[in-house]
Amino acid sequence: MNMIYKVSVERCIACGKCELACAFAHGSEGRPSKTRINIHRRGPELGTPIVCFQCDDAACVAVCPTEALVRNADTGAVDMARSRCISCRMCVAACPFGNMLWDDTYDCVQKCDLCGGDPRCVPFCPTGAIAWVPADLAAKPPEPLDREALEIGGGA
Amino acid sequence: MTTLTVNGRRVTVPDDATILDATRAAGVDVPTLCHFDGLEPWGGCRLCVVDMSQEGWDEDWFKMVTACNHPVAEGMRVVTHSERVLATRQVVIDLLLARCPETPLIQRIAAEHGIEKTSYEPNPEPTDCILCGLCTRVCDHIGVSAIASVNRGWGREIAPPFHGEPPDCIGCLACAEICPTDYIEFTDGHVTRTIWNREFEMLRDPVTGQAVITTAQAEYFAERSGVPKAYFETSDSSKRLAMAKTFAALAVKE
Amino acid sequence: MRIESRDQFTALHEAARKARAEHRQQILVCCGTGCLASGAKEVAEAFAEQVADRGLDAEVGLFVKSTGCHGFCERGPLVVIQPSGVLYTRVKAKSVAEIIDTTVIGGEVITRLLYKNPVDGERIEDYSEIPFYKNQVRVAMRNIGRIDPTDIEDAIAEGAYSGLARALFELTPDEVLEEVRVSGQRGRGGAGFNTARKWASCKAAPGDRRFVLCNGDEGDPGAFKDRSIMEGDPHSVLEGMIIGAYAVGANEGYIYVRDEYPLAVVNLTIAIAEARKRGLLGDDIMGSGFNFDIKISRGGGAFICGESSALMRSLEGKVGEPRAKYVHSTEKGLYDLPTVLNNVETWAGIGAIIERGGQWFASMGTEKSKGTKAFSLVGKVKNTGLIELPMGTTLRQIIYDIGGGVANDRPFKAVQTGGPSGGCVPEELLDLPVDYEKLTEAGSMMGSGGMIVMDDRTCMVDVARYFLAFLTEESCGKCTPCREGLKQMLHIYDRLIGGDGREGDIEAIERLARGMQLGSLCELGKSAPNPVLSTLRYFRAEYEAHIHDRACPAGICRELTAYEIIEEGCDGCHACFKACPVDAIEGVIKELHVIHQDACISCGACFDVCPTEAIRTLPKSRLEKAEVV
Repeated sequence: MNMIYKVSVERCIACGKCELACAFAHGSEGRPSKTRINIHRRGPELGTPIVCFQCDDAACVAVCPTEALVRNADTGAVDMARSRCISCRMCVAACPFGNMLWDDTYDCVQKCDLCGGDPRCVPFCPTGAIAWVPADLAAKPPEPLDREALEIGGGA
Repeated sequence: MTTLTVNGRRVTVPDDATILDATRAAGVDVPTLCHFDGLEPWGGCRLCVVDMSQEGWDEDWFKMVTACNHPVAEGMRVVTHSERVLATRQVVIDLLLARCPETPLIQRIAAEHGIEKTSYEPNPEPTDCILCGLCTRVCDHIGVSAIASVNRGWGREIAPPFHGEPPDCIGCLACAEICPTDYIEFTDGHVTRTIWNREFEMLRDPVTGQAVITTAQAEYFAERSGVPKAYFETSDSSKRLAMAKTFAALAVKE
Repeated sequence: MRIESRDQFTALHEAARKARAEHRQQILVCCGTGCLASGAKEVAEAFAEQVADRGLDAEVGLFVKSTGCHGFCERGPLVVIQPSGVLYTRVKAKSVAEIIDTTVIGGEVITRLLYKNPVDGERIEDYSEIPFYKNQVRVAMRNIGRIDPTDIEDAIAEGAYSGLARALFELTPDEVLEEVRVSGQRGRGGAGFNTARKWASCKAAPGDRRFVLCNGDEGDPGAFKDRSIMEGDPHSVLEGMIIGAYAVGANEGYIYVRDEYPLAVVNLTIAIAEARKRGLLGDDIMGSGFNFDIKISRGGGAFICGESSALMRSLEGKVGEPRAKYVHSTEKGLYDLPTVLNNVETWAGIGAIIERGGQWFASMGTEKSKGTKAFSLVGKVKNTGLIELPMGTTLRQIIYDIGGGVANDRPFKAVQTGGPSGGCVPEELLDLPVDYEKLTEAGSMMGSGGMIVMDDRTCMVDVARYFLAFLTEESCGKCTPCREGLKQMLHIYDRLIGGDGREGDIEAIERLARGMQLGSLCELGKSAPNPVLSTLRYFRAEYEAHIHDRACPAGICRELTAYEIIEEGCDGCHACFKACPVDAIEGVIKELHVIHQDACISCGACFDVCPTEAIRTLPKSRLEKAEVV
């Protein structure tokens, strides 16, 4: 595992581009409600990204009866083997962080698998609140965001 | 790793792979009905038959086997669309079409094999159940075994014990979801869920009232997996909200 | 009581022989299931009672014994008097006193009770002269009819466990395997797989725990050889299994008996208990240090449980369904452990093979099918019953020399061999030597040894339908080609015999047959088309008549067949009138009788009883054109 998905909450401006990017990256309909990254909006231009932690000791993996959730050694993510999923929704109920999502349009489970190592949301984040960084840089504290400097009506 | 040929094309797969794994690796489409990646292969529908010849056998000596469960072997030759393989698959799907003349999945597979109407006597009481066993197998795999196949031969059917409400069922819907023809009926809501004529209480978020699993599922899986039952008791949206609040509190302040 | 060394065994064997030799005369009453059904129990009790009352056991040195099946079931209850070898047939309890006075004490035969040879009408005294018995070579059935199956000493006196003694004390397990290999014995359950090869494959499988199993399910309709062995000489089965276990290194064995054989279960249970008491089962068998024990498991009434992988699932307590056949049960069988499963008759032969040597067994039979085989000869044959013969005996010899020919001297049509997985062999192949390969080449198979003789009053389409109906009920239902294919095949046949055959039916049957042969999971489905294909091969014209002419050439299919009385032949004897179950015949004694076609159900009862052959069959379609009386 060389790369880590790093979330810097204070840099999030709740623009929602990551949600759209995710929705479009996983199916042509781009249904925003079916995105695997969720931004909790707590105020104007203040957001908290909530996304799968790819837990070391994942509750979803523990509860899945058909081993449809498996660690990907290359990306470090907990992948979903859709062909093994039996839609029992236990993972949805088990995830302590609410990062397993039940799609009731298509009767299936959605989870973030870091897009196989190239997370589609990252390039769209204007502030780098979500980033795909080498592991040794992950622990570096985030740069504070200069909110005054943000232009409205433009964007990265 | 084991190397074999599929329709003349060399392919290398892990030693414990099945012929179906090898055909997939070779990019060849072998139809299946009773196969599911998360479950042990069963070899009951017989649609995935292929001709195979082991190393050392005569050039033209083949044995017809099901691809889903037959192990690969070094030097094996697999032929997926020989005349007799196709003829056998046609008989299989023709028979299934006679049993399930009104089932879209079977009609589609039959059409793919050149069969528009069954050449046999259609079932006077058409059913959607193709007796692939996926429902009972997944239920056994989960460890619940609430339903089983009952009766022998042409009277075989899937049912709970004595056709009553299955006492062991936890309402997980795995059987209904895995069924390729949507034969198993259920109703699902945030308050109750009904399947196999049995009503289940849903485990609802105390604030939002949302539910995805039954209380029976929560009991069963908490014990089986070691995941604390408390995890199951709130909905994903409530949990995300709780996480957001936690992170907000953790944000690095100036 | 317990035999703790070879010497003790030998001593017991000698003592038992001596004790029996002291009986100057023995009365052997067959108490196999067939004879029991005809009243043999009363006969045996009458003998025992009268001998005891008259003190004859001491006076005449007489010993009465109930034995297992003598095989000549059609003539039961059977009584054999030794050492004279006189066989009495159809004995009733009321004749017992006469037999004791006239034959046992008086030394004279009672002619009316003797077997009458149907070929020449002669009465035969000595049972070893009766063609039915004379031509037999009994190996698996060597002691049946000679011993009381519930008395282990009787069995030991006649040689039981002598093979085991040799195996345990003179041979290593590998040497036992070699002896069986030399014998060339092949499984007697139907598949004919080489016994030594199967044992060797199990022996080579890794693991500490393995099993030997006995398949006593015998599901073929009309087959009863295994039943007779389990009832009549259970010790032969036990001995074989102990030797087999010794060869492959197993310490546990099971005998799976079909639920419908209560007497077999009783006699096996007694035999196992006796064997354990004598130290021939359990720990330290005969003091050799080898441990092995056997339990009985009963079936639940399913033909499919005779299939080896389904049998093992049933033994484990699961539903009897076969599993994928590439997993060899010699490596992963019962509880996924290495297992040897053999048929009752196979095990019964092992003791003799080890005692007399593999060469001896291999000296009988054909090149690829060594030794002897038990056959149940049934159907339209004069001498029906159970026989054991060297492989290579021809069908003609079996049916005519031993069987006495077709019943009522009607023309021979076919013999069905191998049960529901077998096929029909026509007259032109009667000189076929019976062995595995030859029967398979002819489109049939050996199967478990059932032989059903058919005469001209047999419709081959109906025969195929009979087996299809049986298999449709017995299919486990797991795989599509068998479950759905049998049902659809049966639909086609129901139309054929009902007069609704269509152009293209034969082609449809052949296509479905191929699909079932290639696509089915286990041999039930794969071999189900055999009766269909073999009747099509040799009797296609009958199928065509059913389809094109709406006629049943044999005059059997009721929807297609009418009966009429031929004016010139009828002498008014009134027999048909009495036989008709629906009063469809009108006639006055001594005058011409007539069948009312609107009432007639075409059952053929009148045809069977008419002494002047004045009744004939004709296609119903032709009748519609004729006048209806």
